[in-house]
Amino acid sequence: MFSELVKVNGYLVQAFSICRRQVWLLARGVTAEQSNESLALGRLVDQNSYARERHQVGFGDNKFDFVQGADGELVVCEVKKSSRAERSARLQLAHYLYDLQKAGIEARGVLMFPTEKKRVEVELTDALKAELDCVYAEIESLAQRNVPPPAEHCKYCGKCAYAEYCWG
Amino acid sequence: MGKTLYLLSSGSLKRKDNTLFVERVGEKPRFLPVETTDEIMVMGELDLNKSLLEFLTQKQIILHFFNYHGYYAGTYYPREHMNSGAVILAQAAHYTDEARRHKLASTLIVGAIENMRKVVAYYQRRASLDVEDILSDLERFEAMAPQSGSVPALMGIEGNARNRYYQFFDRLVQDEAFKMVERTRRPPSNRMNALISFLNSMCYILALSQIYRTHLDPRIGFLHETNFRRFSLNLDLAEIFKPILVDRLIFSLVNRREIQEKHFEKETGGGIYLNDRGREIVLRAWETRVNETIEHPRLKRNVSYRGLMRMEAYKIQKHILDDTPYDPFVSRW
Amino acid sequence: MFYDVGEKRVGKVLKTARRYLTWIQNSVLEGDLSPATFEALKIDVRKILDLQYDSVLFYAWRTERYMSREVVGVERGCTDFMV
Repeated sequence: MFSELVKVNGYLVQAFSICRRQVWLLARGVTAEQSNESLALGRLVDQNSYARERHQVGFGDNKFDFVQGADGELVVCEVKKSSRAERSARLQLAHYLYDLQKAGIEARGVLMFPTEKKRVEVELTDALKAELDCVYAEIESLAQRNVPPPAEHCKYCGKCAYAEYCWG
Repeated sequence: MGKTLYLLSSGSLKRKDNTLFVERVGEKPRFLPVETTDEIMVMGELDLNKSLLEFLTQKQIILHFFNYHGYYAGTYYPREHMNSGAVILAQAAHYTDEARRHKLASTLIVGAIENMRKVVAYYQRRASLDVEDILSDLERFEAMAPQSGSVPALMGIEGNARNRYYQFFDRLVQDEAFKMVERTRRPPSNRMNALISFLNSMCYILALSQIYRTHLDPRIGFLHETNFRRFSLNLDLAEIFKPILVDRLIFSLVNRREIQEKHFEKETGGGIYLNDRGREIVLRAWETRVNETIEHPRLKRNVSYRGLMRMEAYKIQKHILDDTPYDPFVSRW
Repeated sequence: MFYDVGEKRVGKVLKTARRYLTWIQNSVLEGDLSPATFEALKIDVRKILDLQYDSVLFYAWRTERYMSREVVGVERGCTDFMV
């Protein structure tokens, strides 16, 4: 039995709202195929947008794409290739803000979609915090399961880097 | 998925201007695109240095070496980049649990024999051969596999099935120059054996390269013993594909006379091997074959045989993680 | 890929392009790229170019089936995967 504790980071939170099976796999270090086209394109957008501002910041188990500060206010920015999974990106960013708040740091969040020239502000509300608490608990119990949730087809499967793993 | 480069002639391979650079005696030096390369097969003599190996590690490119006769000599397997303690532990636990190991090993054999039957049945239809006896024996061996008591017993069944299957080769191939008579290894005693040995090793390497792109450890196989061997999981995977990829290719090369007597040479030690020209013809045909695509019924996209090999490794990984029971790939025709 | 760039940048563009494609003749390279690798090549090349002055052209085919290629005279570079 695999009993190591899972490190709940932004990536897992984001994955959780898209696919539970992916969370189980990630908790075991079963990472996605790096040569996957959609993943590689995402990486390119990530590495080549906001070249001046960007500096990955590690915080706990998380990695922020970059942070900005103005008038004593901290802004955490998260870059995404497309807004297709905006809801899960929002949850990921809220998780960062929540982790910061737990350490006594107040911050705002901004989601950035450079290819769509779009920005979305994220604020950490009580509702989001409650949702996140549920997500953490579910991720932990999911990761402890001996057997992964079976593959279920959803709209993200087509471009998912695990598609060949799940459906091959 | 990247490409496979074959270095047939002798020379040196270097890192230069952040890409690969090959220099050969009497030929113009050439740059090779590193960003689209997955693996390099080294058949000729090659000079290389550590800075190249570090570069290959960074780019996750595997290097396979072959000796003068085209025999597999070894692999530069860059530091694994897909690490999962959970998968390695599950793989080892699956091996040491005899009942579970036997189950997986017998499924592999059933898959392998089923693909042998597909090949025989295909030529039975096409060439109207009388091979009913071989087919029914293979069917019998296939049914015996899951009932066998141990992994060594399974290996015995596999050996018997393969010997019976090899008898089909001489019924299909009419050319006297390519009769197999019996399977001989190290050294191959005739042209057919030389072809089989050479292409089988290409199939093992194909599997090894694909396992590198998964979280599995190539050292822990289930059918083949792990002890005294560097790699064994790739041998397991190759069993499934050898009939479809290797044997079908051999028949087509021989029957179309793309490979002829002049493509072999006899060594003083008694073995018969492909010569340089023969090896190039076979490798070109092999590369074309593994890049051929078929439509994957569940993914609904075209997948090459090389890609199918990777997915077969995924299936093993899913099996040992108690995710989805392993169901071997069986050719549709 | 065809490029026509300022003298100072010629070497840099060639070096970058060679990581992805094969040199065919002066200022011309060829190769088979996945969409993501193609993007990566364009990003890397763009970093070198003077966008007011230089020009790089890409002709892309979805499949080789609809492409024909003919050489008149000397074949300078080749894309063979067997060396």
